[in-house]
Amino acid sequence: MNEIANTAALREPCVPGLFSEEEGARLHGARCNCCNTPYFPRVATCRNPSCDESRIVPCTFGGEGNLWSYSVADFPPPPPHRYDQPFVPYAIGVVDLDSGLRVVGQMVDPAEAMQVGARVRLVIEPIHHGDGKAFTSWKFKLL
Amino acid sequence: MQEVVVLGVGMHRFGKTGDAIVGEKSVTELCRHAVDMAMKDAGVSWKQVQAVSAASSRFSGGKGWGLNGNDIVEDFGCTGIPVYNLSAGCAAGGNAFNIGYSLVAGGIHDLVLVVGGEVMPKGMIQTSGVEDANDPEYLRQRCVGMPGPAFWATLARRRIFDYGTTEEQMAKVTVKARKCSESNPFARFQKAVSLDEVLASPYVSNPLRLFEICPVSNGAAAAVICSKEMARRFTSKPITVATSAVATIGFDDALPRSLAGPVPSGPSFHTEAKSAVMKAFERSGIGPRDISFTELQDNTCYYELAFPEEWGLCEPGEAERLLEAGETAPTGRMPINPSGGFVSFGEATTAMGVFQIAELTWQLRGQAGGRQVPDAKVGLAQTNGLGGNATAAILKR
Ligand SMILES: [Zn+2]
Repeated sequence: MNEIANTAALREPCVPGLFSEEEGARLHGARCNCCNTPYFPRVATCRNPSCDESRIVPCTFGGEGNLWSYSVADFPPPPPHRYDQPFVPYAIGVVDLDSGLRVVGQMVDPAEAMQVGARVRLVIEPIHHGDGKAFTSWKFKLL
Repeated sequence: MQEVVVLGVGMHRFGKTGDAIVGEKSVTELCRHAVDMAMKDAGVSWKQVQAVSAASSRFSGGKGWGLNGNDIVEDFGCTGIPVYNLSAGCAAGGNAFNIGYSLVAGGIHDLVLVVGGEVMPKGMIQTSGVEDANDPEYLRQRCVGMPGPAFWATLARRRIFDYGTTEEQMAKVTVKARKCSESNPFARFQKAVSLDEVLASPYVSNPLRLFEICPVSNGAAAAVICSKEMARRFTSKPITVATSAVATIGFDDALPRSLAGPVPSGPSFHTEAKSAVMKAFERSGIGPRDISFTELQDNTCYYELAFPEEWGLCEPGEAERLLEAGETAPTGRMPINPSGGFVSFGEATTAMGVFQIAELTWQLRGQAGGRQVPDAKVGLAQTNGLGGNATAAILKR
């Protein structure tokens, strides 16, 4: 498994277009140039009701942030989630990125290591394997 | 505006597919039972019903299109009356009540049947099943694997961080709820549980345990509502609808419902619920201090602690102390979910908003038996659902 996971050529995003890892882990989102609201995934128009003019420009988010809260998936979640057998419980973080985006994502580290307020970094990692490929998603890693 | 009253309510006891309570009953059968009971309670016949406002289920009945109100009309007799099928996730029952209320209050109809019923698929509630990258719910499940309990658990974890809430305190909410359900003949679970039993149940999503979240259930509830004018023909002691309100989520909500949102400036986590409740207070002129008891959406014990604080029923961080002092029990100063709540019933999603109206009515009439809130004068009901929907209603005697 680890060998597959570490071979870049066999890594494939679980949903295409949402993120990339070629130049470091990045989420493909947008920002409104008028009210500065960040969005992920991308939106067509600004959704902030107090924004005067929607001026959406594509941008990416990555880097570091703070763990606002977290929970643990102690039972296998229903489809459309997919996971490797046997199921291993994983932590889910709600992270405030320094760039102003609050985003949810799986945590790389075990649940016991979690602490509200911890510093974390966005990474792209496999969430499940199949067809000889490692399907990736964005996750957070404790610093 | 006409004044609106609740004339009669009914319910089918909640259960799980295949058990001794609901067995293999269809959603129409469950609804038939609840509607029959509500009409008998009201003393009205089917022919007197002028319109149906039904919660629209995504899971069962309704010819696969969520036309649950049409199923009711077909079942009771095609009198040609208008049917409104309301879709709002778990808030659909509350939405159906709001539309029924609005139709009567606005003078469009004098007597309306409100109904919600559900036969739920097993296990955690899944997404639509369509792999659509434009559906944020699909993306959240596919990319993160974060079903409902994981969402609630992040909120609970943050409360533990903010207020020092203990796992014992979280578990005591369930102990209190299940004690109430002992005397509720409509509850799925009618047996008390001990603190040790709750704490021995496995985590579903740490820090929330199996006994601290509501399972999915099958069940149905119905209410016959009418104008106060018309009610004189049927009863001398109607329960008055002080108000009914609907709201949706605010842009500044503090928790991302899909994948992400801006880091919020404010601390409010369920702006749709708070907004609906605040609207209800404002429109009725009834404040938090006037409420005799509250039925709120406790998908998880966490909500019983957080919601009363968000709505001004008590101070932030005070809920645990009130719980432990017995103040949230039916006999306390701030009774919460005397019915036993979702934790004791399980959630038959679209039935819940109507289920709350039935409990409020029984409480205000003094018919709630062992779970009766002494001298209940005013009751508050609240639901919230997928899509950022919420409802609130205030009933008074
Ligand atoms: Zn904007």
